[in-house]
Amino acid sequence: MNPNIFFRILVFPGFLFLFVLILFCDWFERKIMARMQNRMGPSYTGPFGILQPLADYIKLLTKEDIIPHHARQFLFSLTPIISFSIFMLSIFCFPLDGINVFSNYGFEGDLLFVLALVTFAHFFLFLSGWSSSNPYSGIGAVRILMQFIGYDIPLIISAIGPAFLAGSLSLAKIASMQTIPFALLTPWTFILFLVALQAELEEDPFDVPHAETEIVAGYGTEFSGRKLAFIRLAKDTQIVFGAVLTATLFLGGPYGPVFSAPPSLWFTIYFVLKVLFVIALLEFVEAICARLRIDHVVRGNWRMITPAALLSVILTVLSAPYIRLFMGAPI
Amino acid sequence: MSPINLSKWARLKSPWVLHFNSGACNACDIEVVALLTPRYDVERFGILLKGTPRHADILIATGPVTRQAALRLKRIYELMPEPKFVMAVGACASSGAPFKKCYNVLGGIDKVIPVDVYVPGCPPKPEAIIYGVTKLFEKIKGGS
Amino acid sequence: MKEIAIEEEIIGTLEGMLGESVLGSKSPRPRRVYIHVKPAAHKRAISALLQAFPSTIISTITGIDLGETIEINYHFWCGKAEVTIRTNLSKSKPEIETITDIVPGASLYEREVHDLLGVKFANHPNLTRLLLPESWPENSYPLRKDWNPKQTGEIHDSSEKTLTIGETRTESNGGSLVNVIVGPQHPALHEPERFLFKLDGEVVVDVEPRLGYAHRGIEKAAEHLMFFQDVHLVERVCGICNVAHTTCFCQAVEALGEIEIPSRAKYLRTIVHEFNRIHSHLLLLGIAGLEIGFESLFQYLWRDRETVLDLTEKLTGNRVMAEYSTIGGVRRDLTPILGDEIKKKLQKIRDRLSFYKEVFQSDPTIELRTKGIGVLSEEKALKLCVVGPVARGSGVKSDVRKHDPYAAYEDAPFKEILYKDGDSWSRFMVRLEEVGESIEIITWAVDNIPSGPYRIRVPRRMPRGESLSRVEAPRGELIHYVKGNGTAYPERVKIRSPTLANIISFREMIRGCYVADIPAVLASLDPCFSCTDRMVFVDEKNGRRWIWSMNDLKARRRDS
Repeated sequence: MNPNIFFRILVFPGFLFLFVLILFCDWFERKIMARMQNRMGPSYTGPFGILQPLADYIKLLTKEDIIPHHARQFLFSLTPIISFSIFMLSIFCFPLDGINVFSNYGFEGDLLFVLALVTFAHFFLFLSGWSSSNPYSGIGAVRILMQFIGYDIPLIISAIGPAFLAGSLSLAKIASMQTIPFALLTPWTFILFLVALQAELEEDPFDVPHAETEIVAGYGTEFSGRKLAFIRLAKDTQIVFGAVLTATLFLGGPYGPVFSAPPSLWFTIYFVLKVLFVIALLEFVEAICARLRIDHVVRGNWRMITPAALLSVILTVLSAPYIRLFMGAPI
Repeated sequence: MSPINLSKWARLKSPWVLHFNSGACNACDIEVVALLTPRYDVERFGILLKGTPRHADILIATGPVTRQAALRLKRIYELMPEPKFVMAVGACASSGAPFKKCYNVLGGIDKVIPVDVYVPGCPPKPEAIIYGVTKLFEKIKGGS
Repeated sequence: MKEIAIEEEIIGTLEGMLGESVLGSKSPRPRRVYIHVKPAAHKRAISALLQAFPSTIISTITGIDLGETIEINYHFWCGKAEVTIRTNLSKSKPEIETITDIVPGASLYEREVHDLLGVKFANHPNLTRLLLPESWPENSYPLRKDWNPKQTGEIHDSSEKTLTIGETRTESNGGSLVNVIVGPQHPALHEPERFLFKLDGEVVVDVEPRLGYAHRGIEKAAEHLMFFQDVHLVERVCGICNVAHTTCFCQAVEALGEIEIPSRAKYLRTIVHEFNRIHSHLLLLGIAGLEIGFESLFQYLWRDRETVLDLTEKLTGNRVMAEYSTIGGVRRDLTPILGDEIKKKLQKIRDRLSFYKEVFQSDPTIELRTKGIGVLSEEKALKLCVVGPVARGSGVKSDVRKHDPYAAYEDAPFKEILYKDGDSWSRFMVRLEEVGESIEIITWAVDNIPSGPYRIRVPRRMPRGESLSRVEAPRGELIHYVKGNGTAYPERVKIRSPTLANIISFREMIRGCYVADIPAVLASLDPCFSCTDRMVFVDEKNGRRWIWSMNDLKARRRDS
């Protein structure tokens, strides 16, 4: 067993590094949203307000942790941590600095493994809302499930596009095969993937599970203190996961020109930059859209997005030989 | 930084707010909501407006507390997790004036729940409300 | 003069139709007619009025305790003049026939008089409390002169647990329904109210308002303060439309005292009134954006609104509570430098308006959330007697500034904005375009303001008499009815704010809409509950009828 592995899991590019990245992305999101609304966003907590998410989490840890009398205690306490852990585990499978946290290139089919893990994580988020026994939480939980299950289909279908072009279901392989990012070669799939991702992450215009003005705070309504910290952390990790997945599938993952040794430094830098780019894109869409209604979301999925995703995959398959020529890869 | 200082720092830097109107005329409420808009933008200080008492640290209450609203106000206060603080914004919330003697009014937030900071004005300007928040921070720093 | 002929024409028509029932009639001012009828003849009189003027809508119903009798005044706007039909009831047995079968819009007004004065309206479909809490003791009517404050006891919890407010329908519904209660503390509502909706899945079937969370007893308090002091009290009925309230009240008192204020004051009042309108509309549009999840729109709109608040502050001294009108004129003058600044800054807002119009007209998400949603047909709008942008969004002509001009509106050049569709989108567009019209009015007023004094001294005592003043508040027609008794204290002050007129229509609008539409439709109604002082969801689960109040929810969630 490589003694290095503990360092990799716990510090870099594992837990600590990801934790810092997640906090940074939270700040990044808020800043972009604020800027788009003519505001400043968090500014005084640390330089440029960078320590704001950290302050949020520490404060939550010091708050009283209330378990409502009628909630299902066991599930209520456990589901936030489990959701967060599963999201974190799924990010571990990505080649963050060239190779993944477990010091290997993953295995064939780990794309599907990761997508399955994420399904589990969403299910636990649903459970967290359901176990709160508050009507608002319940409605939010049901909406999450409805939206996730619906939009998982076009997401997976769109994810098949890059897998097909790379000829593999391994995340590392898909990332490394992209001499030119798939986002540029198959833009139609990229856009559909982003739409499906936006719905999975429950961001505007697909903000229905969190519709603040309708159901208070969705599945997180009853949580406070430590559990709320984990719920928020799970939410933020979910966003980073989405960005990481997009960066790997469509933007070439960590790979890019290396200018000096060690290559893992450059790979990490590229990866982080690509993740931030995706997050900026998603925030941009969130800022300029209103919230759709649940029936629009569901109908839009079955009538528009899923058929479009199918069509886009067919298009990718048909144009694959030409694209592969372009890529310089064997046909 | 010792753990106690760290938690105090976090509490000062990330105060989440819940706004409740106990029968006010709306003037104070729109000045509170105006705090989120680009001119005043309290998100710079880390203040977020939350929708549920469970997520909030500070309760910003306006209005002279009508009888119907009194019970709700108490419930909301009870639902908030510790440590929690209350700001009474406006002349009505502070003392009930000018509705003090009216038959349906209790006369001020402190008749129902303990208040930490009073912000007088009718309505107080958003700058005054922000000043009230800084006074609250001083109180927190001072040791609560 | 044409106007006096209209009033005499009205009196002549009604006296002709009612004959002996009419005990007296008068028309003290242009467009104001008072007709006194015998008890029990009121319904015939109202039917006659509706027959003679089919577009009549009810303004409000005022009850006054006159010692021996209780006087009930039915105020109607018949399209040309405000007609008040009044009758007296004995105080020991105040009962009168309801008029809700011929005027459905009177339902809430009758409940209000019942709640505060104890008058029984026979055959009213739902004669329950409107403004006072359920825990209020029986037989305690605050607006009666002989009411003793000591009669009200302690507030207790129990009354709110079972909210079966007068509903006796037992429809059995096979589907399982969800109970969603909105309010009194809810991010959608910046004011405390309770809404209970009857749902079938995600579709709303019915709704009933429960008002009163902001009921502070202002009408009663106004009787204990002098007219001058009441101006400040009345202003705080609603912080958002405060200028409308002061203007209306000052006009009513000036009419009562037969005081003619200088023209310059009229123009200045108009300017501040329109500032108030712009700020209120921008506020509402921003909140509407927030309700449909469009936070960016909210931020942009409120940023532009700050410009208007700055100008208000420069003119009146306050951002929100203008404290500008007073009996006899206004408090501060407009300098030419300020006038130029106003015109310049308003020009900027006018440019931003075209941007917002484009957003509302072309943004697909806004379209999805507001077009075709919350429809109120023109016919229903007339029957329910709605006012303001709600009425104008359904194609009903209802702008007090045009049809019953006051202050400087007789000469001001502006259009009445009408949209035909009656959906939420139309109501928002009406308000957006009205901002443009307001800018025109202010610019015109600043350019054409006459010189002269802006305030005259008036005596403290007002003579015996009564007057009724109507203004176009941002939300619609606002009415103040003031009765003087020769002292410096009013005998009665009655305020009917536009939201009370519009709240009934919410039921019509929301039927058939989804739960998710509720905040948007409510926002398009622009309810101002502190003006109004109610909604109830009725929920059925598997045929059984049960209602949860916020109390029940919180009791179930009580933490250890």
